[in-house]
This record gives sequence, structure tokens and C-alpha cells, in this order.
Amino acid sequence: MFAAATGWLEKSSADIDALNVFPVPDGDTGTNMLLTMRSTIEEAYRAPDRSAAAVAQAMAKGALMGARGNSGVILSQILRGLAQNLAAKESFNAADLASALQESSVMAYKGISNPVEGTMLTVIKDVAKAVAAEVASNGRDLVSVMEAAVNAAGESVANTPNLLEVLREAGVVDAGGQGLHTILDGALRYLRGEMEQMRFRKPQIIITDLHATKLPQMIAADEVPYGYCTEFLLKGEKLDTDKIKKKLEKKGESLIVVGDDSAARIHIHTLEPGDIIAYASSLGTLHQVSIRNMDEQHQDYLEMQKAKGPAVDTAIVAVVAGEGLADVFTSLGVTAIVPGGQTMNPSTKDLLQAVEGVASDKVIILPNNKNIIATASQVQSLTEKKIEVVPTTTIPQGVAALLAFDYEADLEANISIMARAISAIKTVEICRAVRSAKLGDLQIRKKQPIGFLDGDLVAVGESALEVLNKMLSKLDLNKIEVITIYYGDDTKSEEAEQVASDIRNRYPQLQIEVVKGGQPHYNYIISIE
Amino acid sequence: MTVEIVTDSLSDITPEFAKELGVTVVPLYVRFGEEVYRDRVEITTDEFYHKLVHGDIFPTTTQPSPGDFITVYKKLAKKTDEILVITVSGVLSGTYQSAMQAKSMVEDKCRIEVIDSRKVAMSLGLIVIEAAKAAKAGAGLDELADWVRKAIHRSHLVVYFDTLKYLAKGGRIGKAQGLLGAMLSIKPILTIKDGEMAPLTRVRSPAAGLDYLYNFVPGFSKVEALAVEHATTPDEADELVRRLSAIFPKERIYRSIVSPVLGTHAGPNALALTVLEAE
Repeated sequence: MFAAATGWLEKSSADIDALNVFPVPDGDTGTNMLLTMRSTIEEAYRAPDRSAAAVAQAMAKGALMGARGNSGVILSQILRGLAQNLAAKESFNAADLASALQESSVMAYKGISNPVEGTMLTVIKDVAKAVAAEVASNGRDLVSVMEAAVNAAGESVANTPNLLEVLREAGVVDAGGQGLHTILDGALRYLRGEMEQMRFRKPQIIITDLHATKLPQMIAADEVPYGYCTEFLLKGEKLDTDKIKKKLEKKGESLIVVGDDSAARIHIHTLEPGDIIAYASSLGTLHQVSIRNMDEQHQDYLEMQKAKGPAVDTAIVAVVAGEGLADVFTSLGVTAIVPGGQTMNPSTKDLLQAVEGVASDKVIILPNNKNIIATASQVQSLTEKKIEVVPTTTIPQGVAALLAFDYEADLEANISIMARAISAIKTVEICRAVRSAKLGDLQIRKKQPIGFLDGDLVAVGESALEVLNKMLSKLDLNKIEVITIYYGDDTKSEEAEQVASDIRNRYPQLQIEVVKGGQPHYNYIISIE
Repeated sequence: MTVEIVTDSLSDITPEFAKELGVTVVPLYVRFGEEVYRDRVEITTDEFYHKLVHGDIFPTTTQPSPGDFITVYKKLAKKTDEILVITVSGVLSGTYQSAMQAKSMVEDKCRIEVIDSRKVAMSLGLIVIEAAKAAKAGAGLDELADWVRKAIHRSHLVVYFDTLKYLAKGGRIGKAQGLLGAMLSIKPILTIKDGEMAPLTRVRSPAAGLDYLYNFVPGFSKVEALAVEHATTPDEADELVRRLSAIFPKERIYRSIVSPVLGTHAGPNALALTVLEAE
């Protein structure tokens, strides 16, 4: 049922991505939810038995491990609520579902330090309420309960712009709420037996198994690095997933064969990926082929530990996108870098791996993005190590926190030192609007340069320089000493130098530095300190 | 008889102040190519920094020879039978070795105790100053040596470096090695830990460095004395003293200049602060 829901979500994830709340491509909500659900389903297949309790438990674990972005984290909390409520249940009925969803709603709110209405939190709350009402009045039919859930979700999502100003101004519904609705809708359609229609609607994308009742057997459940992680989609006619599974069983570990007679997703850890590919290509066409050397990944972690700078008992893990920025962080003594940023949120698992990979028992995480803070906060519950998250929301904040790190101070003192350093810095981010929009007094055309000051959209102009100048003119430059300009992957160095020399001319007392950050999305990330 | 106190020029105790205290300072050597100068004796700090910044020869430094110490011991042995030698960190300089070798050559003349302070600059200097006062007040060698060994743990140095270039060239970078090669222009703040230079943190501007030094002081509940030193920027050091005197009695804030040998490693624009905690 949830696998079907994931398939359904997958089909619309691009549409959900497009539901931008701001005129910046923050819209990875659909992708984040999808990746979270995929991890959820993968884990569900590994449940020790098929009781509701075991499967829900496994799903909650999978969601937690694979949670990406805020929406993913909330989703994982929802599934955790379900799992807690269904613990010790062999199967569940309508009443159980109602009480489990109630728990989900509570968990979702609990997981977020600053809950905002008009988001998927509101949607799960409304769904839980509607389901409880349905059970109370009409009783026991699971399908009718799910219908009530989907209807409530739909209404709740439609209502989100009334609750949240930014949504209303941008004229969209909440993307996370929409994602939740899609998941519930997919589950309902599965219960109704509408798999054929589901496939028919967006026939071009078929990836996840729609006949998920046939659970593939796992050979080994552990994820010890071993050979090559081989993953691909096989398309063909009259595919026999049972036969494929049997054939591949002895070829490796962690085998997953999910699919139907026209498409199957295959995942295996093997020492001989060539054999797998050769066999599969005899059955049909291969798509989305991915072969990763797991030994190498493991080796990279070991190398990274050796290469780290001064021996300190506290390690720092930073989330950074862009080669130049990664170099900057490394040169300042960060222990491990997790790739990610504005449009690419790392999962809890990615962060956990980095944390486990460093030699220290105390680890500070610098998320460097507000959408990654919640994910980073989840890591503590998954490791024995002592984790602290310094809530940096921008790259310059991350650099400032890293610079302020005191080699002599203990973890607690460092957290407060770093937090203080963050507050002393201002961040300007300049990118191009991905869509036209009106935000407050600002009228923005698609592709126009727009400027954010500490995350708030405050300026729009014809050129990056104009936007920057508008923003600098609003700041008290008397207290400023250093301006560092990190220019992005698709920004030319000549243009960056031009911007720098312009500022130098007008503010000769300032120390201006230009660094190739190579970050995606932002043409300029500028630190003002 | 009063115990005689001996230190080296890396204590940053100026010749005038040494005379006042009754302390003997054994100079290290600083060498520009073929020219060799006795630290602070044959080259003033002003001359030195001018050569360092404007000259094209990078200076090197050398510890005093055992002979230099023997000369001092013999001279002092004429008026005392107890000498306490407090040297710069043995990790940074071979001065301690020279002092020890010299001791073994004159041992029977009088009692000599040599202590490796594990410190440098005024974090060594303040210990020497306090020890000299105690010696004058009549403390014996054993008592003094014991006091010094404890005081070492109460003496804390923070140095603002405008650049690590000089420290790296001189091979004294120690645990601050990791700060080299930063992609941004950063100003490291170092301390001396286990006898060698170790990073504390990093700032982006001289003003932020001054703030860090200032904010270092309130971290201690009981302070015996402070010391502020500059290399080439006396105004900034004076500014730091002015700010500190608002929170600490000015008469217990010592003012000095980073000696040429130390300046060879610290480079121009360095600023140092020492806190000597009260017992």
C-alpha cells in the first residue's frame, strides 16, 4: 500500500517540486519526500515478519535513515508515530489507523521546534481529526476511512494558502502538504485496487512495484561495505521477478528485486557487477544504471580521517556544495564534508555516515542551510557519539563558526562561541529568480537577480552588482571590516572581480576578498563581518 | 645570600627592566646572513623590525652557547651560592640545553637549578619578574624553584599573528601547522601549549584580534598580573592596555616589546597578551 503510495508520489514529485513557495528553486520538496519514502519502502521489505508492527517499525526506521529536507523529517516523524501506535499489533483496522494517525500528528508537531500552520503539519492534523470522526460515525471500513483521510488532506492542502502568508502571496499551496496528500491518495487507490488506472495515468514512469504484496526476500540485511552497490531499472516484456530474484540470489547481498512484468528495479551488492548487468540486459533494456564501489567509499572515509588537520578531540562535519567552498572549509580545518545545500539536502543517513566516519567521539555539525538543521538534529538519536548542531543557515555563518572554533575550549564552550560568531556576521546571497512573483513591495520577474539578507528576500535589480549595492547601502558599514565574495559555478571570475573592484572603489576602508566558491544556484554568496 | 635569577632574552624582559629587577638576561642570537647580533644587546627592536620588513634576507636565530651561560654562572657565583635559571620552552629553543650543559661544567662552584618554563615571551617574563621579587624578599632556591614550577601552570599566553609566514619559515609552527594554507586571509591566534605553539582560534581582522585578546582576560577569576607586547604596532598595544586598565589595575599591566629573536618567528604586527593567574 505504501509502496503504491510512493509510486504515486514519484509520478508527481516533479509537480510538487514546481510548487515554489519563494521565487527561488528551493522546490525540492517532492524529491525529498520521494527519496524519504523510497528509503522507507526499502526498509519495509527488510521487516523481520509481515505483522503491522514489524512493517511499521521498519518503515519508521527507513524514513528516519533516509529523511531528506524538512518535509522528509516531518514525514519520518509521521511514520514514527504510526509505528509507535501500531507496536505489538499483528494487523490493523480502521480504529487502529485512526488512533495511529492521531499519534503521527502529535509526533510530527513534536519533531519540529517551531511548528508553522499551513504546512504538512496542519494537513496531518486535519487528516487525523477527519479519520477519527469517520471511525466514530461510520465504523470499520478501511477504504471509507482512507477516503475520509484523502478528502480531509485535499481540503487541508487547499486551505494552506489561507494560513500561511508566503503561500498566499506566491499563489501556491504547501508543497509538503501536497506531497502528503499524494501519498495518502496513492494508498487509497491501492486499497481500491486501482493499480491499473494509476499506471495508465502517467504510463511513462514506472519504477516502483505496484504489486507490493509480493515482498522480495532479502539475503542479508546488513549494509557492511562489500563490493559494488549495483542498482538499475530493467524494462522489458513478461519479466518474471521471481525468476530474476532466484537467479541473482547467489550473486551478492542485499538483493532487492521489485517490479512487475514490464519493469523491475534491481538492487544488489555484488563483487561482479558485470555478470549482473550482462544477465539483466539479456532480459530487456537497462535504465538508471548505477554502480558504486562500496569499498572505495569506505576507503575514502578512512583517508579523510588521516588527512585531517590538527588532532582535536572534537570533529566538525559541514554540509557544503561547490568545490571551492569545500576547499575553503577543508583549509579551515573541517574534519568531513557532506555534499549538499540549497537544492540538494543530504539525508540523515549521509550525515550519520560522516559522523561515524570521523575519529572523534564529539562531533559538531554545521548544516549551513535552514532546511538541513532539522535533518542534522536527527543524527544524535542514531549514534553513540556526542553530537551538537550549530544552526548555521548560510555558508558565511558556517565559515564564521568554523573560524571561531576554539581548540582549547570544551564542546559546550565551543557551541556558545560558535553561536556568538554566527550572530556577528551578515550573509548576502544573490541568485536568479526561477519564476515571477510579488513578495511584499518587490515585483520580481523570472530570471531577475534577487538578493537575500540572512535568508530574507530584500532586493531585486537588473544586475547582481545593482542588487548587492542596494543591499550594502542599507547596512551600517562602519562596523564592517571584511567582505568575502564567493562566486558560484556559473558565474565568471571576471564578473566577480568587477563586482569586487567596484566595492573596493566605493568602500576603500574595507578588506575585500574574492574566492571561487563553485556553488550551484547562488551566483554570489557574500559574507559581511 | 640572595638567590640570583637568570633567564634568556625570549622572556622579553628589556635590559633596563632587568637591571631594575636584578635579573641576568642571557641573549640569544639573531643572524641576517653573515651578520650576527646578540638579541636586544647588539640590535634594538626597532632596527630589527626594520630589517625584517624591509630587508631581503630572512633572519635565523640561534640559542646562546653553553659558554655564554658558563660566563654568567661564574660571574654570579662570586656573589651568591644559589642560582635559579628559568629558560624559554625547550621545544622552541635549545637554550635550556645550553643552560644545562653549562651547569654540569660549573656544578661544584655553587648550586644551580635550571627550569624549562615551557613558555615564551611575557608568559615566561611574568614568572621571572615575580620570582625576582620573591628572591629579593629572601626566598631560598628550593622554595623559588617550587614556586616557579607551579606558576608555569598559571601563566597563559595569547598571541595575535598577522601572518603565519614567519613562524612557518622558522620551523616553529608546531600544532598551528593546520592553519597554513587556509584559502581565506585569516589571522591566527595562538597560545603556547606543552611548550609549543598551538592554535587557539582565528579571526579575520586586526580589530577582531584585539577584541579577542581583550576578551581573554575576563575569563580568569583571579589575576596577578598582565603583560601586553607589540612587535611593530605600539599604538594597538597601547589601545589594548587602555581598554584593559578599565577592568584591571594599570600598575599591574606590564608593557613590553616582542624581542627580535621572537619577532623573527612572530613577524610584524604581532600582538601578545599574557595573563598570570593569582595563586
